[in-house]
Amino acid sequence: MKAPFSPHLLLIRDGLKELIALLGKDYEYVSVLATDSKGISVSSSKHKKSVDNRTMSTERGIVARVWKDGGYAEYAFNEFYPDMVADIAKKAKRELDAQLSLLQAIGVKNYETPVMPDEPQTLFVEKEAEILPEDVNVKALVEKLNGICETGLAADEHVINCTVRAASTHVNKMFLTKNRDLCQSYVYSEGSVFVVAGKDGETKINYESVSGLAGAEIFDALTEKVKSCVSVAVEMLDADRIVPGEYEVITSPEVSGLIAHEAFGHGVEMDMFVKDRALGKEYIGKRVGSDLVTMHEGAAYVDEVSSYVFDDEGTLGGDVIEIDHGILKTGICDVLAALRLGTLPTGNGKRESYDRKAYTRMTNTVFESGDSTLEEMIASVKFGYLLEGMDSGMEDPKHWGIQCIVSRGREIKDGKLTGKMVAPIIMTGYVPDLLGNISMLSKDCKVFGSGGCGKGHKEWVKVSDGGPYIKTKARLG
Amino acid sequence: MELIKYLNAEGLDWELDQTITRGWEFYFIKHELDQHRAKEVNDITVKVFRTAEDGTMGTASATIPLPSVSAEMKKEEMEALAKDLAYRASLVKNKPYKLLQGDASRGGQEQPMERPDIPSIAKAFIEALRGLPETETEFINSYEIFVEEKLRRFRNSAGIDVSEIRPESFAEVVINARRDGHEIELYRSYDSGTCDGDALKEDLTRAMGFGRDRLLAEPTPALGSIDVLFSTADAVNIYEFFTYRLLANLIYQQYSDWAVGENVAPDAVGDKLTVTALKELPNSSENKAFDEEGAPITDTVVMEDFVPKAILGNRMFSQYMGLEHSFIPSNYRVTGGTRTEEELRSGRYLEAVEFSDFQVDEVTGDIFGEIRLGYLHDGDQVKVVTGGSVSGSMFDFIKDFMASKALRQYDEMEIPALTRLKNVTVTGIEKE
Repeated sequence: MKAPFSPHLLLIRDGLKELIALLGKDYEYVSVLATDSKGISVSSSKHKKSVDNRTMSTERGIVARVWKDGGYAEYAFNEFYPDMVADIAKKAKRELDAQLSLLQAIGVKNYETPVMPDEPQTLFVEKEAEILPEDVNVKALVEKLNGICETGLAADEHVINCTVRAASTHVNKMFLTKNRDLCQSYVYSEGSVFVVAGKDGETKINYESVSGLAGAEIFDALTEKVKSCVSVAVEMLDADRIVPGEYEVITSPEVSGLIAHEAFGHGVEMDMFVKDRALGKEYIGKRVGSDLVTMHEGAAYVDEVSSYVFDDEGTLGGDVIEIDHGILKTGICDVLAALRLGTLPTGNGKRESYDRKAYTRMTNTVFESGDSTLEEMIASVKFGYLLEGMDSGMEDPKHWGIQCIVSRGREIKDGKLTGKMVAPIIMTGYVPDLLGNISMLSKDCKVFGSGGCGKGHKEWVKVSDGGPYIKTKARLG
Repeated sequence: MELIKYLNAEGLDWELDQTITRGWEFYFIKHELDQHRAKEVNDITVKVFRTAEDGTMGTASATIPLPSVSAEMKKEEMEALAKDLAYRASLVKNKPYKLLQGDASRGGQEQPMERPDIPSIAKAFIEALRGLPETETEFINSYEIFVEEKLRRFRNSAGIDVSEIRPESFAEVVINARRDGHEIELYRSYDSGTCDGDALKEDLTRAMGFGRDRLLAEPTPALGSIDVLFSTADAVNIYEFFTYRLLANLIYQQYSDWAVGENVAPDAVGDKLTVTALKELPNSSENKAFDEEGAPITDTVVMEDFVPKAILGNRMFSQYMGLEHSFIPSNYRVTGGTRTEEELRSGRYLEAVEFSDFQVDEVTGDIFGEIRLGYLHDGDQVKVVTGGSVSGSMFDFIKDFMASKALRQYDEMEIPALTRLKNVTVTGIEKE
């Protein structure tokens, strides 16, 4: 079925157009992004069960963006009724003028930026989803998650807790200007099994997830995840500490995705180019990885949690090939960065919520597959590790350092898995070395959307990333 | 609020939490204005509690969406919301616990309601950052300033009705350093109540020095096992290992095996820490009179000389553990370090001052971090290094913990100014 567009947004559309007209008397450009995203979130663990209508992306609010005299400003609010239009316009102008007065008193100058184009465009998209969050059979979902939780708890005596989560969000966004009227409605969902196991004072954590541009129907897959999740968590209790050093490694698809995200995801966010915060700016057209490396980024590349039709600035989502056979081709860009760099936006202007600023952000960042099998890749390793389980990562776009926290490594000796496990692992390195050493990629490719991405240490948004199994060299500790 | 009438009609207990946020934000590229933003948003959440015949308690939560057509939500919408929450709560079966009890007849228990002066606070931030001692080689790349006034009211069906206004600020600053055509950046972020311009300037001036040094740094040798000294905000993660493991939700769920009266490191030969939860620390962004569930926050010693004295935490797990006087702590002071700076800076050690992302896992005890800048001290010799990583386990480090008597505050945490972890594994990027 189609995910129906928000009646609330349709109800306030005329009022918002009136607001745009009123603000248009004082500003040369006015846009409005209005959101009404609903959801459901259910969680079950040994000691706590919960049902909530909040997810990471649920919200209802409005942000108006204006341009005047070479500068941009925004006013965000969430109380808007048809009889309040004039008051809201007056309040927005009063607050923004007061800010300008303060800045002028200090002597702050604008970073001059051209006005946004406002070509006429209308769009009304309702994407398909089998089960909407509004229509979820909550009783059945609660029982399903309780059952999975119980299965996890009973699966092994060392299991301390098994937390099962399912969240589904029906995103509704409307972008309006004098000439543009864009509406989109889509559903994304994510679920996870999170197991904590303990033995002899040692505690280990493992999780598995499902996600997609889909409704609550995807939660059925959680049932299959729980036993393997427990089994690996328990196996990790007997893991050794790794001897630090440089190793041949094969990264599993979720670890490959983490590398994609940290290496040339953040590294080519072009609002960082504007600030001279990314080395990537100087490497466009140059080699940054082996010939086997091709990497995509874009809302339109795959159907996952960040596969919108238009971004939070009204630009259609795209599919950018950032790295083509090892050569860095381009970055990703929001509208303001594009205007400042004299290029075109790529549909990557995203906000944490309506009341936060838009930045250049990733959507779906994925390595293309290769032509090897995992078995061939393992057989090619003299001594190294198969790295599994993605925990977290951090990049340094100015210096191209990378840090990835990985759950575990399975030892490979003379082309065979030995059955020995090391955990946990910190993988560090220099991005061009890590990508330059990629020598094999598997035929399969998986994309994961259960995590969030911050800009610096804030501005959390949904993203997905992934790729095939990748063979390279890395420093492990 | 009309919704309360319908919640009561459904026989539900409830908590209503409303926060009105007014905020000003300024974004700069170098010292030019990237853009400015203002906001005023009203967020209301409701949580309901329903006791079933079998004695279990169900809960359901929701954000109350502000309506489309008038300031007053239509009665039928509120009635429907109450019924929906009642149904959803009936599907959830948790062990029961009591809501915080109050006296509704006393009305709103308001804290001093002095409103923060947002323009003045914002001005102080901008002026502080424009006044930094920048040079040709160490300078501001960009910064973001957020200043907010938060007006919060919390009510529950057991008579709690408390309100307060407080300021909350955040500054993110990126500093560049360059030498011979090579440039690096340092990232800093600061949470606070209002603007402490002097502290900001002092920390950023120190960061500029780190930037200068990083450009001269050599690859970190493979050091194997070595003492690591923490003298920057990364040390907060080390002390949060203790504060998190003393929380009721970690202990009840067996993620932490610490218990009142039982020494967390009985064989420890080093410094033994004392942790105190505090209602206030100077200019902390977490200075609050009451917690997320309306419980008053008081100064409380939670661990003394490595012996837990009080377990604190949210209402649910505190009640499960039989803790009547509990709250969710927001500020902490950690004392118990006995060392002077001279003692801590003796012998051979690595002072790690910049990481990609230093992490301490409060459940597993694992520590991680890629070193962006360190100083390898050996007597009078100091070598500036970069690259490689630190790793190890807090459960090992607390057995011989070394910390300074002198304290330093990082927003909501006041901790020893210097911390030395012994025998940390340091992976280098160059053989020694």
